Amino acid sequence: MSAETQDSTAESKPETPAAKAEAEAEVKASPAVIQPVKKKRKVAEAAVRMKGVIKRFGVKTAVDDVTLHVKIGAVYGLIGPNGAGKTTTFSMMAGYLKPTQGSLEILGFAPTQVDELRSRIGVLPQDAVLPSNDRVGEFLMHMARLQDIPADKAEDAARTVLAEVDGKDWWAQRCGSLSHGMAKRVALAQALIGEPEVILLDEPTAGLDPKVAFEVRQLIKGRKGRATIIISSHNLQELEEICDGAAILDRGRIVASGSMNELTASSEEVHVKLARGTKTTGAAWMQQVRELQMVKRVEFDDERMDLAMYFERKETDAETVISHVLWILLNAQVKISGVSKGRGLEQRVMDLT
Amino acid sequence: MSALAPTAWARKGKPRVSPLVEIRLIAARELRKSIRSVKGIVLGALTLIGSVVSILICVWIEGGQREKMGAGSTQAYIDLKRAAIEKSTGDANLAAHLATVPTSLLLFLKITIWFGPLLIALLGFDALSGDLQHRSVRFWTVRSRRWSYFVGKFFGLWVLVSLITLALNVIAGSVALGKGYVTGGSLLTFGVQFWLVSLPISATWAAIALFISGLFRTPILGLLTTFGAFFVLWLFGLGGFISRVGDMIESGDAKAMSWYEYIYPNAYDEMLLSSDPRSIVTALGILVGFSVLVIAAGSAVFARKDV
Repeated sequence: MSAETQDSTAESKPETPAAKAEAEAEVKASPAVIQPVKKKRKVAEAAVRMKGVIKRFGVKTAVDDVTLHVKIGAVYGLIGPNGAGKTTTFSMMAGYLKPTQGSLEILGFAPTQVDELRSRIGVLPQDAVLPSNDRVGEFLMHMARLQDIPADKAEDAARTVLAEVDGKDWWAQRCGSLSHGMAKRVALAQALIGEPEVILLDEPTAGLDPKVAFEVRQLIKGRKGRATIIISSHNLQELEEICDGAAILDRGRIVASGSMNELTASSEEVHVKLARGTKTTGAAWMQQVRELQMVKRVEFDDERMDLAMYFERKETDAETVISHVLWILLNAQVKISGVSKGRGLEQRVMDLT
Repeated sequence: MSALAPTAWARKGKPRVSPLVEIRLIAARELRKSIRSVKGIVLGALTLIGSVVSILICVWIEGGQREKMGAGSTQAYIDLKRAAIEKSTGDANLAAHLATVPTSLLLFLKITIWFGPLLIALLGFDALSGDLQHRSVRFWTVRSRRWSYFVGKFFGLWVLVSLITLALNVIAGSVALGKGYVTGGSLLTFGVQFWLVSLPISATWAAIALFISGLFRTPILGLLTTFGAFFVLWLFGLGGFISRVGDMIESGDAKAMSWYEYIYPNAYDEMLLSSDPRSIVTALGILVGFSVLVIAAGSAVFARKDV
C-alpha cells in the first residue's frame, strides 16, 4: 500500500477530533446547486452523514466502521470489488437495511423517517423487480402519489420522468413485458420523480448495452447540479467520468476516499505510455526528464512501458509537466502510446483492494 | 431543467400523504394487482365454479328436507321448522328466528366460511413474501411507512376476499330465488346479513395470512406455513366441535364453546348470526380485536425487517 493510500485510509478512520474534521470524505459543491431550504424545513448540513456504521449479518461483518460525509450537491461514488460492502452501505442509506451500530442520516434524518424524506429522496435499487402486472404509467403515477405529489400533478410528473429516460412510448406497457434495459430505465424514472434532492443509484448501468448505458450516464450527468447523487458501481470509468468524489471500500471498510482528483492523484502525477521497444536504459531523454525541476521523482515500469512523473501540486500543474515532458520526448523521437493525468481510478482501486 | 422543478406542491411544510392516504393507495393497487394476475383470475374462476356447484348442492339438500317434512310451500316449511326447533329447544323466540333463516343460504354460508381460509391462504401467501423475494418492496419502503404498507396490503387482500364473497352470495341468492326457496325480501335481509357475517371472519384469516407472508422471502414457505397455521386453528375448532357434540349426545344439553374453540375464527359464525345483540357484539369484538392484534404484530415485525 502506498503512502498516499495510507493517508487516505487514515482519512476514513481518523484518530483525533481535528483529523476527523478534515478527514471525512467531503466533496465540495458549487453554492449555486444547493436547493433553497424552506423556513420550516430542517436545514441539512450534509446530504449523507454516516458515522461509525457497522452492519453485521450473523457473524459476518459486511460493513465495518464506515464514516462518510457527502456534501449537498455532490456526485459521489461508492467503489469496491464484489463483497466490499458497497451495496450494503447503499442499502442502509436507502433504509432497506438497518445499521447494527453507528449513526446514519440523509438530509439530517434517519433513512427510516419516510415522512420527512419521501419527496426529497429518490432511490434506484439494483435488483428490485418492477411489479409485472402494473402498467408503466400507473406504476409511476402510484409512486408519484406516494411521494406527496397531488393527484392532478402525478400524471405530469410521471410522464416527465418517463420522457427523460426516453421511454414515453412505454406508458401503457406492462412492466413485466419490458426488456432489461427498459425496466432499468423505468426504475430510474421512478427514482427521479418529483426532483428529489438526493438520488441514490445502485449499479445504474449494470446489464445495459453500451448505447443505453451511455444515455443513462448522460441522464445522470444532466441531474448534476440539481441533486446530490450517490452512485454505487463496479464501472470505474463511469464513476471517474461522472463523480466529483468517491469512497473506495474493501472488505467492509473504507480504504480511501476523497475527491476524484485526490483519488486518481491527477494533480500530483503524470503518466506517459511509451511504444514497445523504446530504449530507456542510458537514454539521454530520460536524464533530461529527471532533471526537470518541477518533477520530484520519475519511475519507469518496463512491463507496462509506463513512465511516471511525480510533482508537487502546489508548485506546478499536470498540464505544465505534460508539456515539458512531451517536448523532451518528441525531440528525442520517442514514440508515445498515451498520456494521462494521475494513475486512473481503476489502477487506484487495483492498488488498494 | 425539468418542468417539475421543486415547486410548492412538493416542498411546502409537512408532507400531505397521511397514513390513511398511503393505506388507500396501496390497498387499491393491491386489489388491482390481484384482479389482473393469473393467480387472481384462475382462483376467481375456480371459486365461482365452486360456488355454483355448492349452491346447487345446498338447494338440493333443502329440497330433500322440504320433501321429507312434507312442506308444500316456503311458509309451510318455515312453520314446520319453527315447531321442530321449539320442541327441541323450548325457546319460542329462538325457534321463530331460526325458522325464517333460508336453509340453503345458511348451508352456503357455512361452506363459504369453511373454504374461506383456503381462498385467503392462496390469495395472500405471496402478498408480502413475493415483494420481499423480488425486492419490489424497495420501491415502496422509501415512500411509505412500513406499517402503512402492511395495513394497505391487508385491506387489499380483505377487500378482494369480501368482493369475492359478495359475488358468491349474489350467485347463491339468485339460485335460491330462482328455485323459489327464498323471497326477494328475505334474500335481501339474510343475503346481506350472511355476507356481513363473513367479513370479520375473513378479516381475521387475512390478517393471519399476511402476518405469515411478511415473515418469509420465499413465497412457497409462506404458503406452507399459512396452510400449517390454518390447519392448527382448524384442529382447535374441530376439537371443540367434537367435544360439544359428544357432550350433547351424552347429556342432551348443548354446552358452551371450550376456550380453545375461540381461537378458531370460524367458530364465531353462530354468535354473529344470533338474535342476541350481546353475542354479536362479543363475537365482533373478539374477531376485530384479534385482527388488530395480528396486524399490529405483523406491522411491527415488518417495520424492523431488513428488506
